Amino acid sequence: MTVVVSNAPLWRLAWQRLRQRPLQYLLCILGIALGVAMMVSIDLANGSAQRAFSLSTDAITGRATHRIEAIAPTGISETVYSDLHRATPAIPLAPIVEGYVLVDELGAQPMRLVGVDVLAESPFRNYFGAEGETLDAASVQLLTNPQAIVLAQDVAVQYGVALGDRLHLDIAGQHRTVTVVALVQTDDTLNRRALSTLLFADIATAQEVLGQVGRLSYIDAITHAPTEVDAIRAALPSGLKLETAEAQKNAVQQMTAAFELNLTALSLLALVVGMFLIYNTVTFSVVQRRPLFGILRCIGATQGQLFALILGEAALFSVIGSLLGVGLGIVLGRSIVGLITQTINDFYFVVSVQQVTLSNATIAKGLIIGVAAALFASALPALEAMSTTPTLTLQRSTLEGKVQKLLPLLTVAWVAFSLAGVALLRWSGGGLVAAFAGLFAVLLGAALLVPPAISLLMQMLAPLGYRLFGVVGRLAPRDILRSLSRTSVAIAALMVTVSVIVGVSVMIGSFRGTVVQWLDQTLQADIYVSPPTTTASRVFGKLDPQVVDALKHWEGLRLAVSYNDADVHVIDFDRDAKLISADGDVSQGKRPYAWIRPGLEPDPWKALDAGEGVIISEALIRRENLPALPATITLETPVGDRAFPVLAIFYDYSSDRGTIIVDDDVYVNFWQDDRIATLGLFMQPDVDLDATVEAIRSQFQGRQDLLVQWAHPEVGGVRGGLARIEEDTKKGHPVGAPQSIRF
Amino acid sequence: MSRSHGVPMSVSPLWSRLFASNKVAATLETSAPTAPGARVELSELYKDFQEGDINRRVLNGINLQFEPGEFVVLLGHSGSGKSTLLNLISGIDRPSSGTIRINDLAITELDEKSRTLFRRDRIGFVFQFFNLIPTLTVLENVTLPQELAGKSPAVARQSALNLLNQVGLGDRLDTYPDKLSGGQQQRVAIARALAHDPQVILADEPTGNLDEETGARVLELLLNLIRTTGKTLIMATHNPDIARHADRVLRVQDGYLIPVIVHSDLAEEVVA
Repeated sequence: MTVVVSNAPLWRLAWQRLRQRPLQYLLCILGIALGVAMMVSIDLANGSAQRAFSLSTDAITGRATHRIEAIAPTGISETVYSDLHRATPAIPLAPIVEGYVLVDELGAQPMRLVGVDVLAESPFRNYFGAEGETLDAASVQLLTNPQAIVLAQDVAVQYGVALGDRLHLDIAGQHRTVTVVALVQTDDTLNRRALSTLLFADIATAQEVLGQVGRLSYIDAITHAPTEVDAIRAALPSGLKLETAEAQKNAVQQMTAAFELNLTALSLLALVVGMFLIYNTVTFSVVQRRPLFGILRCIGATQGQLFALILGEAALFSVIGSLLGVGLGIVLGRSIVGLITQTINDFYFVVSVQQVTLSNATIAKGLIIGVAAALFASALPALEAMSTTPTLTLQRSTLEGKVQKLLPLLTVAWVAFSLAGVALLRWSGGGLVAAFAGLFAVLLGAALLVPPAISLLMQMLAPLGYRLFGVVGRLAPRDILRSLSRTSVAIAALMVTVSVIVGVSVMIGSFRGTVVQWLDQTLQADIYVSPPTTTASRVFGKLDPQVVDALKHWEGLRLAVSYNDADVHVIDFDRDAKLISADGDVSQGKRPYAWIRPGLEPDPWKALDAGEGVIISEALIRRENLPALPATITLETPVGDRAFPVLAIFYDYSSDRGTIIVDDDVYVNFWQDDRIATLGLFMQPDVDLDATVEAIRSQFQGRQDLLVQWAHPEVGGVRGGLARIEEDTKKGHPVGAPQSIRF
Repeated sequence: MSRSHGVPMSVSPLWSRLFASNKVAATLETSAPTAPGARVELSELYKDFQEGDINRRVLNGINLQFEPGEFVVLLGHSGSGKSTLLNLISGIDRPSSGTIRINDLAITELDEKSRTLFRRDRIGFVFQFFNLIPTLTVLENVTLPQELAGKSPAVARQSALNLLNQVGLGDRLDTYPDKLSGGQQQRVAIARALAHDPQVILADEPTGNLDEETGARVLELLLNLIRTTGKTLIMATHNPDIARHADRVLRVQDGYLIPVIVHSDLAEEVVA
């Protein structure tokens, strides 16, 4: 007798079943596709934004190994560059001025304007001729024409821009005109993509255009030995720091890690719901086929053959579902890349995504997780079906008996998962990963409780049904009870889906309510004035000093509160946070606080005004999972690290990195930056706000475009920004608040 | 009563049950059939069922032998253990203890996969409720066990056609089981049981779900096929009428098999 095993007839059986019940399998495929699509789309959009930023950063960094930066937001004095050059003549250095501009002719997308010294460029970047070559025509044009800029050939083709065309730049509401003198081109695909968001100009042109005359954004350096690094460090004046190019990239990744984790967890949640769908479908199809499996076992199909059949089916539709999911994810990803880019722009860094980047890793991750999830969800019913003896497989009651025996165990598992989940959720040091793990554990625990809960409920309902409707009243509860193996999975899947929808809706609703209430309390000024910007909660330009001066003397003004912001390195936490300087409280004492230093209640602002310390946001503390409130916080300042007493902790929904408020005098003193980003104007009660807003807009037309918002709910203005918050929160993004939120 | 129940049952790990080793092939190869029928030996066979806290003994130390080509009828009331005995002989269920040998091969010592393969090649099963696969046509139902055994579709088809012609269903090849009468379905089931040329046919109440006339015709057909091929047939039934055709009749009672003779008036006489 030859021992030959053929699976072909079983596959034919599966195919016949598939043809007879296509909708059942379609549901399963759809479950996988949706889960995978969510993951792929988020990965794609996120990855594209990150990649675009990283490419443009790499393109600017070039071969630089280090970067000299100013701690003050005003940048580096250009004399530092010549001093350093003299002190370290052997080390290649290149000064850079950069800023974000909007170009009307290039789709009004934010572009990075990079001012370079073409004479120092060649060791760093070869867009203007390789090292050792004589200056090319573009370089000469840049040096000789004060309005000259260079852009990528691809961008010029995309927007129909030709050499000699004039481009209109918008720099924080101020307008400049420049001329295209050259188009750079590179054969390298990555560089080509990177260049698509960059404009190059001579350093003097960039300084003039960006309003940074005499200042540099940073100085690039190429070092080959630690001694060269030491030499630069020794020559650096105070207020400057030397960082590696790698550290810059890491800082960006660190900044957005929590944001990415949030999105990934949400996409995983979608996949978990998809897994329930798969589990439900596979279990259903296995339970339906138990008699068939029993017959097959009797006539000679082995356990392994049946196991392979069930898993093979799951593998097949999981591959189809995952492939569909990847396709759907790419389509979704393309449509949400704008939303994610906007959120990243609002909170982290400015990026313009010209091209969606689809990495092989994203496709592989989607496919692997989709297939693995489906196989995992199918393995349990497959094992159950094959581990039963053929005689028992022919009887449905056996399966139900097994489920009944499992009920106590499932209850114990629910308790265990719930306790573990609650412990993870309450673990203050766990961070976001532990919180999501806790959430998943609670969710899984609840799903495990479904069979015991349904069993108990149906046993209680059966007598009630009998009393109300006689024997017929017992039918439904008993039927559910007798088919617990199927009904409980369906109920659990429905429960998880509904709970996710309800949970996310409640979370968004409650968060939105909190933010609206917070805005109501915080924004008390009548009018807010700032430069126009493409992001919601960050500004890259400043108000023209003459505009500030004129507004502070506006007729009918009762009080003006000014504001500025910058990034600051928090020494205690070794990361950056948002630093806000203000010369008054725009909330007029109504801002909600989580904690106020004893003795300063109810309003810590007076102590802040007196320069006694800083007020920090709850997000700053939460992110660090500190066991106790810090008495002081140490910040990096241009004059060295300084510890500031913490006066209060306030609620802030405008930055997940954390915010530190300092008095403007302290800020100017330490950070040497007296610019103003936003003004909050409190007008006399009899002033017509409509007319004032119009008057402000027209008064400064031609000097600086201004974003003037005002606080009357029926007209929009500041509250109009709330619509944006609603949009952001609906999309599950961190809140992007109106400009005035920066107060 | 505490006692040892003969050969202990080995419980194979799940993995080895899934992917049985080459040992299976070797074991089955050495016991290749040499005759159309098979000798079935039961030694100290026990079968217990656990029902809640109660242990119910269905077979109580059976020692018995079925000869090649023999037709044996098992009589007994519902729940007496007739079907259990058939399930044990076919290897789809395992005894609590004891040994079953078919042509000297102890199937109770085989692992799950080996038993399945053994059943696939040596045993034919006819059920009371036919157990045809509803999504397969008559012809496909009969070819399936052969194809599972690795026969080419053409060979399986030819063999199935021959058998279906013999059971009078040569004109219903493409019909689905739900379009057939009970008698026709049972005839398909008989063709399926014989299609792979097994040595032992196990029939569990094959006429139990048929009217008297149809049952008689199906029984005649089955017996004709068995007698002409010399296979061993063990049939469980309630119907003492069928016993008159049997070589031997055994009544399953209180866990024991009692040899009986059934007279023409259906009266039973226990064989001493």
